Amino acid sequence: MMMKKLITTILVFILLNISTYCLAQTDAFFNFSQIKPKTVANVDELKAIPILDNGRIKPLETYAKNTLIQFSGRSRFEKKEAINWLSKLIFAPESARYDKVFLINHPGIATSLGILPEKKRRYSFSQLQPKFEKLRELSNAALNIDPKERDIVENEIIRLYQNMESYAHLSICFSFAFPHPDFAITDPHLKEALGFKEKVHQFSFLEVAQKADELQVLSKPLETLPEDQWSETERQTFRVISSLFDWSLLYRDLSFTIIPTYQNDEKWISPWDAIGAAVTREEGRQEYKALRELLINYWNDQQLEFDLNARLFKQSIYERLTLNHPRLANLVELELIYNRIKGFFYAQILYFVVFLLFFIFLIFSKNWLYKILYTLLISGFVLHAVSIVMRIIILQRPPVSNLYETFIFVSFICVLTGLIIERIQKNGLGFIIAAVCGYVFLAIGGKFSAEGDTLQMLVAVLNSNFWLGTHVLSITTGYSGVCVAGIVGHVYLIQCIVKPQDKTLLNSTYKVLIGSLGFGLTMTFLGTNLGGIWADQSWGRFWGWDPKENGALLIILWIAILFHAKIGKIISQVGLAAGSALGLLVVMWAWFGVNLLSVGLHSYGFTSGLATNLSIYAVCQILIVIILTPLANKRLKVKG
Amino acid sequence: MSQLRKSLKANPIIKFLASIKITVVCLILLFILTLWGTIAQVEAGLYEAQQRFFYSWYFLVLGYLPFPGARLVLWVLFINLTANTIKRFVYKMSQIGILIIHFGLMTYFFAAFVTFHEVQESYLMLKENQSSNVSVSYHEWELALWKKTKEDKREVLAFDSNHFKALEMYPFLPFNIDVQVKSYYPNAQAYVNQEGNNEYLNASGIQSLQAIAKDKEPEKNIAGGLFEIFHKGKKLHTIMLYGGEIQGTSFIVERDEYFLMLRRKKYELPFTIHLNKFDMSVHPGTEIPRHFQSFVEVEHQGLKREVLIYMNEPLRYKSFALYQASYSLGQNGDKYSTLAVVKNRGHLLPYISSLITFLGLVIHFMFMAFKRKR
Repeated sequence: MMMKKLITTILVFILLNISTYCLAQTDAFFNFSQIKPKTVANVDELKAIPILDNGRIKPLETYAKNTLIQFSGRSRFEKKEAINWLSKLIFAPESARYDKVFLINHPGIATSLGILPEKKRRYSFSQLQPKFEKLRELSNAALNIDPKERDIVENEIIRLYQNMESYAHLSICFSFAFPHPDFAITDPHLKEALGFKEKVHQFSFLEVAQKADELQVLSKPLETLPEDQWSETERQTFRVISSLFDWSLLYRDLSFTIIPTYQNDEKWISPWDAIGAAVTREEGRQEYKALRELLINYWNDQQLEFDLNARLFKQSIYERLTLNHPRLANLVELELIYNRIKGFFYAQILYFVVFLLFFIFLIFSKNWLYKILYTLLISGFVLHAVSIVMRIIILQRPPVSNLYETFIFVSFICVLTGLIIERIQKNGLGFIIAAVCGYVFLAIGGKFSAEGDTLQMLVAVLNSNFWLGTHVLSITTGYSGVCVAGIVGHVYLIQCIVKPQDKTLLNSTYKVLIGSLGFGLTMTFLGTNLGGIWADQSWGRFWGWDPKENGALLIILWIAILFHAKIGKIISQVGLAAGSALGLLVVMWAWFGVNLLSVGLHSYGFTSGLATNLSIYAVCQILIVIILTPLANKRLKVKG
Repeated sequence: MSQLRKSLKANPIIKFLASIKITVVCLILLFILTLWGTIAQVEAGLYEAQQRFFYSWYFLVLGYLPFPGARLVLWVLFINLTANTIKRFVYKMSQIGILIIHFGLMTYFFAAFVTFHEVQESYLMLKENQSSNVSVSYHEWELALWKKTKEDKREVLAFDSNHFKALEMYPFLPFNIDVQVKSYYPNAQAYVNQEGNNEYLNASGIQSLQAIAKDKEPEKNIAGGLFEIFHKGKKLHTIMLYGGEIQGTSFIVERDEYFLMLRRKKYELPFTIHLNKFDMSVHPGTEIPRHFQSFVEVEHQGLKREVLIYMNEPLRYKSFALYQASYSLGQNGDKYSTLAVVKNRGHLLPYISSLITFLGLVIHFMFMAFKRKR
């Protein structure tokens, strides 16, 4: 049995032919297992290293941020960027053990694992590690439950377990370069035979693996010699070879895939898997060497060398990918810029400022204030637009394919509509439309981005730029139209109450109301029908009464009811305005209320929070309309 | 013409039918039905909700309160709209948008009518290098009977079984065999008798059936039933059948061997599909499917052509359309491609309706914007 294993081991080595490595050995490298690393201060050079994650090649910075968000719900750790946390975890996992990065929302889980609940709900790996087996049991039990039936705690347990697993993967992705007791060699003869220094007793996987040729020679006599006659040298030789074999099996298929394979097959592998794959390639050995040097530089605070090695590694990867991804380096750079400028965040702030200033403008009505408002709004809009364009370029597809993107796009169209209305009306109506829709929808969208990477790949049925570009864009533009009408409806009701005698103002607002309703109706109608045509193209049915289709139909029906009731003199202009205000509810329902339906009460965190907030909003909205409408009617009768 | 319209306009029935109040009430009802039908899907599933809220004339709330179904509301709206073409509409250039919108809506009613009554949905699952000209229904069942022959062709007779009721008699005339339904369950579980003393004929050893509640997803229901074979008025056999069986149960009538089987309804296609190859790809490093496609060969009366079917790119053949629906991998790595087969003669109608109505909306709101400026 033993012999068989040994022979297999040797075969594996011949296959891997690891001895062809010619990595430089640094003395400093050997001794750091117990000491605290000095660590480089600046790891920014790592940010642009590409990594394949969730089907997309992205910069390591984005990966670090998403991973940290996934673990801790935050995008920064101890006031530093996520990349600092990630590099600590992969280069010096021992020192990251006490970082409290695991978010456990439900205190019951901590208690059930036998851990004292933390006030900030975040726990370190060292706290959780002793409970890992227990957690695995709980998680396996939870995974056996139908996803629709799982409750909050069960989902949280699964999430926590998976996070710990990913954490563990990350913490070992450079372990091939760390000295380890599995590769302890005390026998001086063996050390000498392998060319190792006498004073050092522990070695890394990589160091031992490089001596595969020597080990092979040393292991030759073991095949015929009975086990009980082995000398200490032979015993240690065998132990080291077994460890090599075990480790190379253990650390396969880690998810930290930063190295594309050398076969041009779109696949990426982790540094561990690259040990074998890179062996016959000069560029592979280069990349490998750079990674190992990076680790050493990180520990020894060699900033310049660190930056150079990071750059060397990146360059090599980019060069290898020029054929399949000729613009990868540019796209990665663009994504870093996209991450850095935080366009949506600042646009949101600008819209909020416009919203506040607008009330000051209402009181003082100064021309210079009007110009400031205009400038601020345009600046927000430009940032907003630039960020959307960047997303289009990065993902090479139309800007709307998931719920997060609908928020960004709907707010964008609303702000655009607001700007156009302001250009025509010049009385501030456009400002309030743009500011409210821009701020509110970007704020909701911002909550989504806390759920992880918003730049996602598409499943086959959605993977069609034509239909995404036509159906989704027109339906979201339709939502925007109805949202704008909803805001104008509110404004009209308030104007009726505040200035019932100002007929010119009321008429101009009413015209905007009808216009935006008509625009919303037309675009929603177009979007719904394009959706039907898409469904017919991909499933063979134009209409199937499914929740999303019904949602769009509700918007169309609602506006149709309003228009026909107005023509039939069942409702007045005030009634139409009130109806438009309520139209906001119908849009919310069609837009994301429907998505919450299937989720029901079983979800946790943001989605259930959204459901609660949506319900509260619905009640408030109805109350507002119930209060404003009779008041507006009364004031109009008195003054009009 | 205008004289006729005048007299029609004065007609009290048309006047009543054209009331805009009816329009608004119908639209509100449709709004309620759509919302209600959406929420109901969480509990009842899509299929049941469709049947109850949208395809019905009316349904009962809490068991006794009748509420109009979308089918009734849409008919009333259609009549209301027709009456309005006579009574209310102003045939003027300035109203052209409104007229086009409502004409477009008329064509929707027509399209919905045709689709509702015409559409036939089934699927075709093929292994690589397999051919077929028979597609299978998702949730309709049939009771099929055939005679054992030595040729590789056979004539099968079948009755739709979805509405089978106990004691109904179905005559399979060419074979001179009558089958009586003893019991029939739209969704059942089957049990094998371990002891071996079999009361009923069954190819898989099934000896008892238990009715269970219908599933939310109708394709998950598996029918079962007990049938008696009569020949010349004489009862010969009692056969228990279950939809989950892969073979028919054989029985002898006058020295000829016959097979009876309860199976998903089959449709004969006017062409044969041969799956040459199936390909799929995922986004690298993930399980998210990026693309899948079937290379098929369509044969119609000896004429062959090769077609590539993939997402959003169906094969259209006369009134049939074949879509790439899903795929599966067999135990020994065989690739199976599932193609959805939809027969719909009215498939282009909604396209036309969409186009007309959308144009109407654009024209109307352009007119309004233009008018305002003037």
